[in-house]
Amino acid sequence: MTLHRPEILEGLRAEDAAAVLALASRTTLASGATLFDLGSNADALYVVERGRISLTLPMEIGGRRQDVLVEERMPGQMLGWSALVPPHRFTLKAVAPLESELLVFPRSALLEYFESRPDVGYQVTRNVSAVIGQRLQVLQAMWLREVRRVVELRYA
Amino acid sequence: MEMFLMGLALSLLGVAVSAIAFGAAVRGEPGSHRERARTRPTVVLPVPQFFADGDAAPARPRVPVEVLLLQLERHVRLEQAAAESFLLSPTVESLHTRTSSPLVH
Repeated sequence: MTLHRPEILEGLRAEDAAAVLALASRTTLASGATLFDLGSNADALYVVERGRISLTLPMEIGGRRQDVLVEERMPGQMLGWSALVPPHRFTLKAVAPLESELLVFPRSALLEYFESRPDVGYQVTRNVSAVIGQRLQVLQAMWLREVRRVVELRYA
Repeated sequence: MEMFLMGLALSLLGVAVSAIAFGAAVRGEPGSHRERARTRPTVVLPVPQFFADGDAAPARPRVPVEVLLLQLERHVRLEQAAAESFLLSPTVESLHTRTSSPLVH
């Protein structure tokens, strides 16, 4: 049983949320383990149940390629929405900085269920859209803050 | 007379041989200079300037990569929190609130 209601299940009736949860399997990642790599096939959506997931991008630092934190996912939050968006490739690397437990929703199982229950599929898709939109807005604001700093450094 | 002509011919031959040898030696010198210049490691010296280059980054103390990565993580978390706070109450002021990130001070 999840301690945090997954954000993708918001607005669903309890029995529908349970049916969607039944599509998922659980996986446990050891501290430092990689959930998925940049560029790998995205065939599952994940929800953090326990622990934390760091989303990173590679950057050249000190002559070496380092994984730099871009975002973090906490319990209840989903990640891996590339599984629902073509071309279904992960654009970040996901690592567990501490032992973490996740729900794994295979894309094929989700789509099959949504076809049989379009009302549930509609609500989950709305939730996913809301999450993606909110994160886009956060990244837009972060990007604009960095642009302002660049301008200040260049022309101050 | 024959002796004189023979001496003259030998002298001319000697001069010709010396000229050819000298010419070859003189032609060979620039090439060997180029060869040496190619193999010698070059050091790019900064062009002396009266005014400092405005684009040049100021000298900063070297930071271990691990420390820099931790600073980057802290910076990202602070920036994400600031951006989320902006979304809760979107104003120009809240968009550009300062954080305590060590990377921007």
